[in-house]
Amino acid sequence: DSHVQYERVGADVTMKCGSMDWDAAVTWMTNGTDIDESHQNGSYLILKKVNLTQSGQYSCYEGSSWHLKYQTSLRVGMPPKEPVLMCRSNNYPKGFYCSWHLPTPTYIPNFFNISVVHGTREMVCEKDTFPKNRCHIRYLQLFSTVKYKVTLTVTNALGKNSTTLTFDEVAIVKPDPPESVVAKPVPNNPRRLEVSWQNPSSWPDPESFPLKFFLRYRPLILDQWQHVELSDGTSHTITDAYAGKEYIIQVAAKDNDIGTWSDWSVAVHATPWTEEPKHLTTEAQITETTSASTSSFMPPPTTKICDKGAVLGS
Amino acid sequence: MAAADSPSATLRRRDLCSRGIRLAGKMRSDVIDLLDTYVERQGLDASASVAVVEGVPAAAVEHWDEQSGTQRLLENLAAYRTFRTLLAQMLEEQREQLGEADAGLGRALAAVLLQVSAFAYHLEELLRLESRGAPSEEEAGPPQPLHLGLFERKLRGLGVLRELAQWAVRSARDLRQLAKPSLGSSSALSTAESP
Amino acid sequence: AFVPLTPRILSLTPDFSTSTLNLKWSDNGSIFPYGLDAFWQIQILRKETMEKVTQVIYYSKLTQEDVILSWNWTSDMPLECTSHYVKIRSYINVTQFVGPKDWSDWSAIEEVPGKDTEPNGSGMFPEDSVVAVGSDVTFCCIHEEGQEIQQMKYGREIYPMIRLSSRSSAIRVLNASASNASGTNVVCRLSEYEMHGTVLFVGYAPDIPQNLSCETSNFVTIKCTWKPGRPSGLYGKRETKYSLSERMSGKNVSCKVDETNGERVCNFSVNPDQTTYNFILRASNPIGQAESSLVIDLTQRVHPKAPEKLTFSGTNSTSVLLHWFINGSFAEIRLLCQIEISSGHSEQKTHNVSMPGGGFSTYTAQLNALRPYTKYQFRVRCSSADSFWRWSDWSRTEEHTTSEA
Repeated sequence: DSHVQYERVGADVTMKCGSMDWDAAVTWMTNGTDIDESHQNGSYLILKKVNLTQSGQYSCYEGSSWHLKYQTSLRVGMPPKEPVLMCRSNNYPKGFYCSWHLPTPTYIPNFFNISVVHGTREMVCEKDTFPKNRCHIRYLQLFSTVKYKVTLTVTNALGKNSTTLTFDEVAIVKPDPPESVVAKPVPNNPRRLEVSWQNPSSWPDPESFPLKFFLRYRPLILDQWQHVELSDGTSHTITDAYAGKEYIIQVAAKDNDIGTWSDWSVAVHATPWTEEPKHLTTEAQITETTSASTSSFMPPPTTKICDKGAVLGS
Repeated sequence: MAAADSPSATLRRRDLCSRGIRLAGKMRSDVIDLLDTYVERQGLDASASVAVVEGVPAAAVEHWDEQSGTQRLLENLAAYRTFRTLLAQMLEEQREQLGEADAGLGRALAAVLLQVSAFAYHLEELLRLESRGAPSEEEAGPPQPLHLGLFERKLRGLGVLRELAQWAVRSARDLRQLAKPSLGSSSALSTAESP
Repeated sequence: AFVPLTPRILSLTPDFSTSTLNLKWSDNGSIFPYGLDAFWQIQILRKETMEKVTQVIYYSKLTQEDVILSWNWTSDMPLECTSHYVKIRSYINVTQFVGPKDWSDWSAIEEVPGKDTEPNGSGMFPEDSVVAVGSDVTFCCIHEEGQEIQQMKYGREIYPMIRLSSRSSAIRVLNASASNASGTNVVCRLSEYEMHGTVLFVGYAPDIPQNLSCETSNFVTIKCTWKPGRPSGLYGKRETKYSLSERMSGKNVSCKVDETNGERVCNFSVNPDQTTYNFILRASNPIGQAESSLVIDLTQRVHPKAPEKLTFSGTNSTSVLLHWFINGSFAEIRLLCQIEISSGHSEQKTHNVSMPGGGFSTYTAQLNALRPYTKYQFRVRCSSADSFWRWSDWSRTEEHTTSEA
């Protein structure tokens, strides 16, 4: 007979060669190669303190006839640790999603079960096809003071663990970062930059559930950010930029009344407008004019999408 | 809501709504500050779940986005009238139990009571604008339950303030719905849509 | 062996407010000769398991009459927490009986059922009580059958639970420290949304009122003030209340806290024909009481109000008549008043004058040796001339210019 056998890393494993007697002559193989007889005790296979590399197919053949008497797939792994669970509403007031992961791999299949209870009411958590470890819940009630209780249980062949989150409806509201952030110099204004952005597309009803924004900007030559909070509108003009210095700009969003700030948006770069160089006298001037006219006015780069890695607070 | 609005009525409503939204926002931040003080002074556990408290208007609502403007105003008004009574009871209770020991908490309670009264009046104005008029005040709102031990009264106070904080959020949302140009139609998002 | 009749408990009465059981039984003395010694063994049992809590021996002397005996016992936990049981047996020292003597059988058990036997008995006990700092207090949480207590906390601390019955568990708080103004919460959590709780106020009995002082400003009202001493730590309706009684007149007044300055004050109406007052100031709060006493001769405790309505008359260039009014009835004493005269030349003189006291009247003094055509500032204060106690406050300063020579 053949089946799957799960064992914990470091465990001692004993395999019996099916119905063969203890002292019967047998041969044990793993993944097609013989196993040293030192691991045998009569017809039993003894594996001490197994490790991950010892996962594999183990077969036992009767001595002379090479008749396959027993086969198992040994899977060495770990019981699940307490899973990390996070719930968040980035599309308030539609609903919220919960996602989870295991702090350390188990190397064997795990099965997750999530229960969401609001007061005494069990709510359905609709699993997303992708990513697998996520599901979302639709708010049936708004403005409730009753807490939500989410319990995630993870089970595998070697053990079981669970974690529970209890939270208020308002506490998990966290929009996605603002999108389409654009920063432009303002012609003839060496100290201004015009920044505009859009509400995150995942936010369903900005009119009834308006967002407020937090803008941070700094010249690349400095580490200290400057901040400005904007309670409405999706644009802002920076008026105190250092002339000629390239700026990095990010925006975050928050529901006007509840919840927490989003992560920072993707960073954009821009340099304030700078004056064209003056016309010089005599020959130099003439040459200058010629060259000026041939090179078309190159506006400073308006947007240079920073790599996506620019994360809030890093 | 009322028949087709005259431009001035629309402007007046929008003005009342935006002032109401600001009042609700201020009230909410004051209630949250009061909640922190109340929890600390009453020795309560901030994370404690409090069961639904009898006689306290629950802010929780289903199919919120499908409510009509009038329904929103009437439910808000009924709630804030009740909160006015509940806060007055809490203030009286606080004086009886603590006397001068915690005048700060008393002042904070009185300040929120004032804002709740002002907000109720504001809602009545909005309803008057609808030429519908605010419903008359029934009796003095929920009587303080007969025999409540001190701890139950502390929890009740916590429940009142928590619901009031949620109502302040709901009211701001309701008023934003009312201020929408496409007023009356529950144009707001319907919950049927999934992400 | 001589075995007395089994005694019969007449009544077992609980006083829940003091957690005290009162036991009454008959000593059946009528069937015995006069003067025999009787010993009564009383056993208190508790909990579902009827554990013995205490056992005492009560002694009495038989008097050939059936006497109803009474005995009190105060439990270390609220009687509501769980059922309490009492049984009693007797031993009569019948001297005439030479054979062996033995205890009677135990009486039928009497029970005071706890709230854990009642359908709607859930809750926490004691309910909202007040104890002295350092007390040991037992709290119990009574819940429905099948429910389980997750934890019991006193303030912020989780306490080990003592099981009393299937519906009741207790915690024991030792040496309770002072609570804050709103009391210490004692919480019994049964589930996420269900908990019972009570509040314990831990404070001090009132301190003996200090610096008790009584005086009159007008012979109409006597005002007594004092320092409360160590704060009791109790507030609102549990705060220390003060009352003032006067032995001779037998009158009693309650006192209040002066809203303006938080000073504690008591106002006692002057009795027409009474000069000596024997005051007792009692302080009491739910934990205890204390008192101070003071005997005064009112005429030696005069502290007039500041003189008012200063006016001037007279046309002489070197003297002036100064008039002032004092609110009060001073007919029983002489007044001593001090008039402070100052003029622009930083010259300042004080002029003392004494006069018989009047009833809510105006007083006058002649001030001489002034310089003509000179602006002077005047102010006045008064006190009792006979036995000085305290000066009044100064009056407002008033100006007067003498006429030209």
